[in-house]
Order: sequence, then structure tokens, then C-alpha cells
Amino acid sequence: MQHEASQKPHPSNPDSGEALRAARDILPLAIGVAVYGAAFGLLTAQAGMDGLEVGVMGLTVFAGSSQIVAVERLVAGAGASLAIIAGLALNLRLLLLTASVREIYAGRPWWQVILGAHLTSDENWALMLSRRAAGEIVGFWYMVGSGVLICTVWIAATVAGNIFATAIPEPRALGMDFAFTAAFIAIACTMWRGWSDALPWSLAILVATGVGLTSIVDTSFGIVAGGVGGAVLAGALGHD
Amino acid sequence: MTDPATAAGTAAIAITMAGLALGTISIRLVGVALGRSLPQRGPWARGLKALPGCLIISLVTVLLVQNGPQEWIAALVALVVACLTRSLPITMLCGIAAIYALRHSGLFL
Repeated sequence: MQHEASQKPHPSNPDSGEALRAARDILPLAIGVAVYGAAFGLLTAQAGMDGLEVGVMGLTVFAGSSQIVAVERLVAGAGASLAIIAGLALNLRLLLLTASVREIYAGRPWWQVILGAHLTSDENWALMLSRRAAGEIVGFWYMVGSGVLICTVWIAATVAGNIFATAIPEPRALGMDFAFTAAFIAIACTMWRGWSDALPWSLAILVATGVGLTSIVDTSFGIVAGGVGGAVLAGALGHD
Repeated sequence: MTDPATAAGTAAIAITMAGLALGTISIRLVGVALGRSLPQRGPWARGLKALPGCLIISLVTVLLVQNGPQEWIAALVALVVACLTRSLPITMLCGIAAIYALRHSGLFL
């Protein structure tokens, strides 16, 4: 029957096709992650961490910028509590990331919810949403497939950077520090839904600039404040 | 390559790793729970739907605010390329090439 033939398998079953496609799609971003991972590996060597510790940290935390900030705090002699607080403050935006894709977790067993949430990073979350904006039907297994690839690359690059610390070039000298800015600009372009986004996005830019410039804590609070500000305005303005 | 002047203690490293790992997965899961508890229609749902775009544009803004005119010009190049090609790898390549060229030219410092 036509109807049965076109039905997708139960959504809890792994969709390896979607996961593999996601892993392929995220490769350009993975190159940027590898460059940053190598640079972070250098920092971990300065902190006195060994390759095993760096690998375990990458696997269990999997939030690059917070790892960088926490280890940088340790190197600066701030102590474990301040290092954890600084890292977690940076990760507050992850709460908004996982909340904004709530539908991909619907009806899933608890272990899949934990797996998907743990593998949600700026890069694969943004990539998944941009593919959706372009009309593709992608969801949980897209997030998992791209997340596994990014996580693997992150661990490999950070451990390699830790072990071969002295041979790592500075990302800025190659212009590679701009890789993610360019990537997020491309992703923002595909996520523009039309002029109904103009006001919320403008407010987001204003708030992010204001908080980013003035924040005494960390510029990353500008991301959270801008995102929430724009979303609140969109909620207040629009019609269902 | 452990430098005794900067190396953190083994205990401090272990505590930081554990605290950051537990805290981060908690934040991610609280997000899932928060998303589930918000209504499917109305202002909350509209806000949540607009959230990703607003977060991305805020992220780009914060990245650019931290930098100067060279990065702003390279961002403009990336924006034009992104609008024309709709391609992630091409936009990344052109953005990196633009910032590389600008920095080595010494213009717009």
C-alpha cells in the first residue's frame, strides 16, 4: 500500500541515513572546531592536564567555549569553584538551545533525551535549524549524527593539541578565528523568515550590543539577553 | 609540557572537570524540560519559535562587537556571499580569505 510504503520507521529507532547526512553536512564547521580544539589543547598542557584528562573533559562536558574559559581560569590561579562558575555562566545559553528545539525530544525514551541534549552544541543546533529553514525535514537523528562527529573531532583535536602542544600555530595568524563568525552569518541568512523577523532581530542586535559592550561579567551574557529580548518581542507582537 | 608556574593542582582539575560536566548536562536538560512545559500556542510558543534566529543574530553581534573594522568588513563580505550563494562552506572560505587579506594588507586597522 502506498500509505504504508511512505511511512517512516518509528522515530525512536535510529535513522542512520539522517545521522550520516548530518555528519557530512557539518564537516566545514568541524574543521573550525579542530583548529580551536588544537588551540585549547595547548592551554590544557599549560594547566598541567594530561591527554586522558583532556579527552574525558571533552566527552563529558562537550561545550568548547566553557572548557576554554574554565581551564584559562585554572591557569590564572582562580581555583576550581570560580573556574566552574565562569564555565557554567557561559553555558546558560545551552538552556535556550535545547528549549528551542523541544519537538525533537517529544515521545523519546529518557536515554535518547539525555544523549540528544548532551550532543547539542552551537554548531549542530544552528546547522539543523538552517536546514529546516531551507525546507528539509530533519530532527533528532540529525542532531545526534552531527553532534557525534563534532564531539569526536573536538576530543581528537584537543588531545592532539595537548600532546603536540609546541607545534600548534595560532588560529588568528591564519584568519581561522573568523571561521565561526562567517559560519554563523551564513546560518543567520538561511534562518531569516521574512520581514516579521525585522523588529525582533533589530532588538536582539541592540540588546546584544549594549550588554556585550557594558557587561562587567562576560560578553556572552549579551547572547542570552539579545536572544531572549528578541524572542519576547516576537511573542508579544505576532499572531498565531 | 607541564609548567610548574602555571599548572593547576590535580584535585582542582578533577573538581573542575566534574563540576563543569554535571552543571552543563543539567543546564541542557533543564532546557528540554523548560521547552516541554511551555504552551504549544500563543505568545510563549511564538517567542520560542523566534528564539533560534534571535540567538544566532545575537551571537554574531557579540562576536563582532569584540572586534574591529577589519572584522566588520570581512563580516560584510561573508554576508554578501551568504546571500548570493546560500552555501556554508563557500561563505566560511570567503570570510576567512577576506579577514586574512585585510590583516595582511594592514588596511582599516
